[in-house]
Amino acid sequence: MISSINILAVGASGPDWRLDRAEINAGWGSSGGKGQVAVCAPDEDALTLGVQAALRALDASGLQIDIVDGLWWGTSRPPFAEGPSHAIMARAIGLSARSAGALCSGSTHSGMEALFGAADAIGSGTARVALVVVSDALIPGLGTNYETHSGAGAAAVVLVSHGGNATLGARVTRTNPYLDRYRGDGETSTRDFYDPRLFREEIFLPSMQEIGEHLSVRDINNWSIPDPDGRLGSTAARQLGVKNLVSDFANTELGDTGAAAALLGGIGSLDVAGSLAIIGTGGGRTSAVEIKAKGPVPGASEVRGDISGGTSVRYTAVARARGQLVGSGETVPMGVPPQSAQFVRGGDEMLTLLGARCVDCGTINTPPSIHPHCISCGGTKFVLEQLSRRGRVHTFVINQTMPAPFVAPLPIAVVDLEDGARIMLQGVGDGSDMEIGMDVELILRRYAHERGVPVYGYKVKAL
Amino acid sequence: MSWNRVAVVGGGLIKFGELFEQSYEQMAAGAFAAAVESVDEGFEPTQVEAAFVATQRGTLWGQEGIGGNTIPSAIGLPGIACTRIENACPSGSDAFRIGAMAVASGVHDVVLVIGVEKMRDKSAEEGLLARAAAGHPIFTRGETAPVLFAPFATRHMHEFGTTREMLASVAVKNHHNGALDPYAHFQNEITIENVINSPAVCSPLHLLDCCPQTDGAAAVLLVSAEIAKRYTKNPVWVAGFGVATDHPYLHEKSTFTSMQATEMAAERAYAMAGIGPNDIDCAEVHDCFTITEILDIEDLGFVEKGKGGVASLEGDTSLTGRIPINTSGGLLAKGHPIGATGVAQMVECWWQLRGEAQDRQVATPNGYALQHNVGGRGSGVSVVNILTNKRSPK
Repeated sequence: MISSINILAVGASGPDWRLDRAEINAGWGSSGGKGQVAVCAPDEDALTLGVQAALRALDASGLQIDIVDGLWWGTSRPPFAEGPSHAIMARAIGLSARSAGALCSGSTHSGMEALFGAADAIGSGTARVALVVVSDALIPGLGTNYETHSGAGAAAVVLVSHGGNATLGARVTRTNPYLDRYRGDGETSTRDFYDPRLFREEIFLPSMQEIGEHLSVRDINNWSIPDPDGRLGSTAARQLGVKNLVSDFANTELGDTGAAAALLGGIGSLDVAGSLAIIGTGGGRTSAVEIKAKGPVPGASEVRGDISGGTSVRYTAVARARGQLVGSGETVPMGVPPQSAQFVRGGDEMLTLLGARCVDCGTINTPPSIHPHCISCGGTKFVLEQLSRRGRVHTFVINQTMPAPFVAPLPIAVVDLEDGARIMLQGVGDGSDMEIGMDVELILRRYAHERGVPVYGYKVKAL
Repeated sequence: MSWNRVAVVGGGLIKFGELFEQSYEQMAAGAFAAAVESVDEGFEPTQVEAAFVATQRGTLWGQEGIGGNTIPSAIGLPGIACTRIENACPSGSDAFRIGAMAVASGVHDVVLVIGVEKMRDKSAEEGLLARAAAGHPIFTRGETAPVLFAPFATRHMHEFGTTREMLASVAVKNHHNGALDPYAHFQNEITIENVINSPAVCSPLHLLDCCPQTDGAAAVLLVSAEIAKRYTKNPVWVAGFGVATDHPYLHEKSTFTSMQATEMAAERAYAMAGIGPNDIDCAEVHDCFTITEILDIEDLGFVEKGKGGVASLEGDTSLTGRIPINTSGGLLAKGHPIGATGVAQMVECWWQLRGEAQDRQVATPNGYALQHNVGGRGSGVSVVNILTNKRSPK
């Protein structure tokens, strides 16, 4: 017998930056444009957004992270075209080395594929606790209409075989070899629709109609419907007679979040009992699934707050962050090439953020690999432990003078963590809010991207 | 009781600055010639038995992995024993200490200590620590040189009420001294407003809170006490020295209001010399940034902890103050050609104790001058050397 597939908790995250559509339009000589899209700061990507959403969902679930059996991650654009994207995310979340799962990629439909993959693992009994992460931070082609709608964000769902206030119900998928938005092999940015009217009339609206009809017989209150251009979502909802288009909030706040859109648009509505349908589309495939909540799902009421806000930035800053505006001259490489031994020795401890607590005096030595002896007492017996992710600024600087690829102002802070460890890391943002005594958290960010390798580490962010 | 087994009988340097026209070798030759020239009773270069050369980074002028053999040929003494000392910003002062030990051991009677550094053969972007990534790939990302010191300023200001005016007063005083020093890179006066209004480099430090990138070379001649009188009637003695280390990463520091390597090195040097901070008449200390001098004068025991800023602003460390600091202009005005810095500081102390510091001359009633460097990753290395003009023990 197939077990029921239940949602124990959810989480969401949005990137640091917001870009007004009018800013983009002005960059291409036209005026007007309402609303905004969410954009990654230079140190964010689909992986860092996904990790943040996953940690929030796991925190809301109350589960010990080590009982999670696997990570199913859906993203159109993993940080490596080929490489250890899944392994890095799993370790940064704190999953055990035994965890299973899959990386679903290749289109914005991959979010649904990750959800279904995890659901199948629960249903078949190969996993009891499955973590689903859907995240995207697409890079739209410069000057395309898509640029004014492409957003970024992430959602995470903890699926379990027993317990939980919500249950996955009927699901449906339709496949057609249509070309919608795509990125060819070796291309750096995603191409917009060849013909937006063709897409609307022949691909998008018919798909929504067909999928929606399947589910509309099932008495569903809330709908999360994709909105690739700022209008199609509400048009499809009208066609289907949908009253509660709950994905409106995320679409307005963040724009089209690609593979994350279906879950990200829907999970916020799980804060009360009810029924929800989420639809995901891309790469010629469209899928939907029904979710029934008998009560509030932990984490759901936080979703709106967790994806709201952000710093308004200029178009040039976004183009620079996406690697589309590149300064001339040489940049400073990582002190150590990412493929070198130092990353083999120290990569894991930096992703999991490990300290070595001295058995003799209790001092936490960070990171363990460079401390064969305790800095306080010289002891050599240590217990490895994950560092606290919260602390207080002891002192800091704002560095205004650095060569490329650094962008000033760059805050750097010495932080005393709640567990007594002291650590020095870069801060996120421009540091204008930083002060001694400020409460901060440590979050995973991308420190550099070199030779195709994203290098991740923790940064300090105001709480 | 002061150590006094080794005498300084000669010292000299070349004019510091952006010496685009001079090679590393030419700078070394110039400093050596100046040191030879300075010996009262004459000095034959071939008397040098061994040399210790301080050069912090060959990479700054396109030579990786340089050794001691860069110097003998350049100064016309091919074949002599020569060893390169690289110990971060205290490289020059540590070469001095090691040279003194080589003489005191009886192995050598005459030793040359020479510091040479080419800082400007490469662009500022490629210069020392400008690449903002040395050491651990994550913990040091974005860590240009000011990042190693500015967190101390932030915390010192927070705990003791030290102000930007107090920091600036250090730069103003050292530029005043530098304007009196013909060897200084900068020879102009500045005001507190100039410092505060200069561009931010790494908050809270601004451009004029920072030392420049400077080319330079300096040399001293050390001989054993027994033969000192052959060279001069007015020798200066090595009274004591100390070197100490601290953890290499800033997050390993237990305090950001003092530099523990400096405190330990000073304690060792004072003990060896048999004196205390109150016996020092003047000092050349490591002022790579204004905050560093404020920490130095506290950590070396010249002023109470936390009072370094006030003491600087009130003139205690000026040429006419209670304890003149950096009479040469210091790193801020004279410049900081790293390997040469410590040796050049020794030359200034030597001049002060011999009454040869011209317009910068201060009173030396006790007969003691102190030289200090601190630096390296996390300011984790410090050297203190103490000179005296008193032959007989105190």
